[in-house]
Amino acid sequence: MPVTTVPVPWAEALGASLPPLVVQAERVAQTVMQGVHGRRRPGQGDAFWQFRPYLPGDAAARVDWRQSAKSDRLFVRETEWEAAQTVALWCQSGPEMDWRSDRMLPTKRTRAELLLLALTSLLFRGGERVRLFGLPRAFAGRGALPVLAQSLPRAAAVAEDGRIPRHARAVLIGDFLAPLEQTRKVVAQLAARAVRGHLLQVLDPAEETLPFTGRVRFEGVATPDHALVPRVEGVRALYEERLARHRDGLRALAAASGWSFATHRTDHPPEAALLALHRRLAPD
Amino acid sequence: MWQAGPIAFAAPWLLVALPALPLLWWLLRVSPPAPRSQAFPAIRLLRDLPPTEETPHRTPWWLLLLRIAAAALLILGLARPVWQPQTGAGGDGPLLVVVDNGWAAAPDWAARMASATAAVDAAAREGRRVALLPTAAPETGEPVAATGLMPAEEARARLAALRPRAWAPDREAALAALAAFRRAHPGAIASLYVADGVEHAREGDAFSPLAAALAEAGPLTVAQAEGRPARLLPMPRAEADRLVVRVLQTALAAPSEATVLARTGDGRAIASATLAFAAGATEAEAALDLPIEIRNQVVRLDIEPEAGAAGTVLLDERFRRRPVGLAAAQETTADAPLTGDLFYLDRALSPYAEIRRGSPEALLARRLAVLILADREIPEGREREALTRWVEQGGMLIRFAGPRMAERPDPLLPVTLRAGERALGGALSWERPQTLAPFAEGTPFAGLTPPTEVTVERQVLAEPSPRLTERSWARLADGTPLVTAAPRGQGRIVLFHVTANAEWSNLPLSGLFVDMLRRLVALSAGVQGAEGEAPLAPLEVLDGFGRLGPATPAAAPIPANRVEETAASPRHPPGWYGTPGQTEEAAWRRALNVSAHLPPPRAAAPPPAGARSEAIGGVPAERDLGPWLLALALLLLAADLLVSLVQRGLVGPQWGRRGIAAALALALAGPAAAQEGPGAAAIATRLAYIVTGNAQVDEISRMGLAGLSDFVNRRTAAALAEPHGVVPGRDDLSFYPLLYWPVLPDAPQPDAATAAALNAFMRHGGIILMDTRDEGSGEGMNPGAGAALRRVTRDLAVPPLAPVPEDHVLKRAFYLLQDLPGRYAGGQVWVARDQDRANDSVSPVIIGGHDWAAAWAQDGRGQNPYATIPGGARQRILAYRFGVNLVMYALTGNYKGDQVHVPAILERLGN
Repeated sequence: MPVTTVPVPWAEALGASLPPLVVQAERVAQTVMQGVHGRRRPGQGDAFWQFRPYLPGDAAARVDWRQSAKSDRLFVRETEWEAAQTVALWCQSGPEMDWRSDRMLPTKRTRAELLLLALTSLLFRGGERVRLFGLPRAFAGRGALPVLAQSLPRAAAVAEDGRIPRHARAVLIGDFLAPLEQTRKVVAQLAARAVRGHLLQVLDPAEETLPFTGRVRFEGVATPDHALVPRVEGVRALYEERLARHRDGLRALAAASGWSFATHRTDHPPEAALLALHRRLAPD
Repeated sequence: MWQAGPIAFAAPWLLVALPALPLLWWLLRVSPPAPRSQAFPAIRLLRDLPPTEETPHRTPWWLLLLRIAAAALLILGLARPVWQPQTGAGGDGPLLVVVDNGWAAAPDWAARMASATAAVDAAAREGRRVALLPTAAPETGEPVAATGLMPAEEARARLAALRPRAWAPDREAALAALAAFRRAHPGAIASLYVADGVEHAREGDAFSPLAAALAEAGPLTVAQAEGRPARLLPMPRAEADRLVVRVLQTALAAPSEATVLARTGDGRAIASATLAFAAGATEAEAALDLPIEIRNQVVRLDIEPEAGAAGTVLLDERFRRRPVGLAAAQETTADAPLTGDLFYLDRALSPYAEIRRGSPEALLARRLAVLILADREIPEGREREALTRWVEQGGMLIRFAGPRMAERPDPLLPVTLRAGERALGGALSWERPQTLAPFAEGTPFAGLTPPTEVTVERQVLAEPSPRLTERSWARLADGTPLVTAAPRGQGRIVLFHVTANAEWSNLPLSGLFVDMLRRLVALSAGVQGAEGEAPLAPLEVLDGFGRLGPATPAAAPIPANRVEETAASPRHPPGWYGTPGQTEEAAWRRALNVSAHLPPPRAAAPPPAGARSEAIGGVPAERDLGPWLLALALLLLAADLLVSLVQRGLVGPQWGRRGIAAALALALAGPAAAQEGPGAAAIATRLAYIVTGNAQVDEISRMGLAGLSDFVNRRTAAALAEPHGVVPGRDDLSFYPLLYWPVLPDAPQPDAATAAALNAFMRHGGIILMDTRDEGSGEGMNPGAGAALRRVTRDLAVPPLAPVPEDHVLKRAFYLLQDLPGRYAGGQVWVARDQDRANDSVSPVIIGGHDWAAAWAQDGRGQNPYATIPGGARQRILAYRFGVNLVMYALTGNYKGDQVHVPAILERLGN
């Protein structure tokens, strides 16, 4: 498993910025909140489901005495079975995520982490369990959100973790600009373990529109290579076409595994992307 | 040199580079600019793009234009362009620059030098050699001579070292020098004559021969100032209480004005008079009205704004306070109050003259202007001889009659006296005491009105004689002379036919007596005495600009009795002459003024027909454009650099935003700093003054308190902030420990709100320092301030006042002070008389009239703009010390009062 290569100072900076991020995530999640999804049958849970007559063998403690006092029979209170599901989340790290084209925009990492935390907050409210790739334990309960936020830097750099339970759900957030084969491998590995999931591509607007002009020497952020474009205006259409093709490839590989794919731009509000994600995760 | 229109190029071959500019254009077009770097994560999508569009990126046209312009400017700048170059002196051969550097050239010397330098510059460009001929004798005492021919650069340095002289140019000598020069250099020469336009010869025309000789030698250019008169300030005329100044000038077509400033020894102007010249007038007169005490401080008069030695007059003893000797028959009783012979004389004269006492012989041993003998006979012998000689040399002898003179008249009298005196009124006479007749015109007392209550009961009578009428300066109502006078040699003898005390008449009791004596003292010829042949060495001399400096090496001493008739020359430059090291040097130095022996200025003859005329100052000087073009090129290149940086992305738009923000912050900082909240006064301890509405007085108050705060901050532990001006009733006074209040003569009675605010301020421990600015030596400076003080304090709760006692804390708080001077010394300062325990016995008001703020005032350069009167650094220091004591008193109350009791405490402790 690759080791997270987040420099310590950066991690500290992130840690310092996390509480506001968590607060923002809570705020974003608030706009998308909905109730716990019950299993529509009695079981473990807090919500009342039904009264049923006492049967021999029921523990005396389960008798609802208030209801029983209304008649001559004893009633037992049953609650709805609420099954908690595990959702595994992954957020792409790496220097390419720390890029932004304008100081007024958030970096892709900031936006991706915000979406991840907001989604986590929603899931916690729904009573679900949340895992991060590369971390041994799952998180649950609303109080766990800050802890999870602080664990973010320790999460795996690549979405591969053998400890993810089968039939869990997965959400991968990143720019997915790496070659399609890499993404296909990750998704295939997860799909092989019956994990269904969702890919969310977060891009900077400049990456989508290529707004530069003139003679520009583009330099890679994560990789040391560069490309000299004599006249950027001339290649803009070509670039957009290539990007569209890359996205089509992502969408196709997701669909092949029964996954879904969506895009998000850092200059768009995060709520829309979050709502779409949450819908995807809603029970069938 | 290659000329194109008003521009000439000193290095025209460099312009060849201009056609190469299109090459630069082409080079810039083909070579693309360096690409800007851009980090980009999605670089994988950009890799291996097919070369769909091969149009190379071009430098934008405006950037090209910028660079081309910068290159063009660089080339033009290096070609050394000159704007409106001087068109040389014409002709060829060497250039002779003749400069009038006498007194008349000083006012516009800079313009004259610019004109001459321009010609020398032109000669330098043409490679001509240059000679200089100043027409005024050099201060080394050598004769007027032309320099040899030298390269123009050297001549420029010699020209820059040339200074106007404090005497007149000698054109005859210059003509001779020119002839000598021509003998040495017989070839054709071009010449420039920078003339001052004044004919300096007493009569005749010395200008034309010189100009003609120059015109004969080659092309001549005459540079003269136009529309500018040469002005001369002759010696002023001293009248009883004013100085009448006269200014002579060359006639001018338009009316003009000149100002004469009276300055003290330390250069401060204390009075000014404006003289208006009608069109075509050559003379104007105005009076400087000065109280005699102030007049005594005036040591020089200057025409403003024109500087120059002839516009400066140094005033020596003859314009000063006159020394007056007093002698009585019996010195022991002379000062007896109300009855003494000299009691009234002393009081009448001491404000205006320097009084000396002693026997006539002792008095005459020093220089004296007036000698007054009160009923003292002059015994035959040495004393009479000495007196006679002194009077004949110009002394003024004033005698008062009395019983002794009535007994034994002596010859030193203006008229022959009858023996005995005449009594008017009294028990045995029918006659009544006589009043005074009005003073006749033509006498020194003309214009004075005799009060009717002045009566004469007894007098000595003159023998009637034909000349008695003309010798009588004052008469009684019945026509008998009261004051007679007669010239004797250069001097004069004046006789009052009554006593100098109130025994024979009540004239000495009246103000008329004071006025009469003042007129007589002013009439005296000045200081007389044995000056003899003693040489007076030059102490300080005036240069051509009218500035005093150390004596020049060639300056020679002048015999004391010949200072008057000596004309200014290199051997005797104008300035101060005296005996160096003499104790009373300042008092006894003599002034030699250049204007005393100059004829009235008249315009010189017009230049000869063939000469080219040129105005100095009017022609715009040639200007070297090279540095400016190079600077502009650099500016353009800097802009180009900035544009390149922006294009490469090294300087982003956020820098622009920051720049705008910084510029905005700078622009807003000024007004923002100026806005102070109402509570700002409470932040620091500071002094305050009451705003009177008179801008000048308020400015003095502000400067004074600022100067005092500065002094206090330097000398004590107190930390005072910038003083505030306050308006009682509008501003909150509770923040200020001390208010300075200059009481103007026209100060209105404060309204109810103001009075209430001031009363509250005093009640709660504040101190108000009221300054009427008319005490002591400043008496009479602000007439009416006393009445104004009564008016403004009518509604104020001012406690009973008393003069500051000797042991008052105000004199002990920080420095030990004897008196409390400000700008004026002497006089009285008043504080609360009674001790008031409620307020720590601190006096809520301090009233004086010493114009303290003016003494404390400091201008922006840290100098004191207001002279102290009578003056001296000591008085200024004492004024500051009083200020420190005052601030301490205001801040600490009577805490320092314990110091007064230290002796008693020590005694009690057993030491």
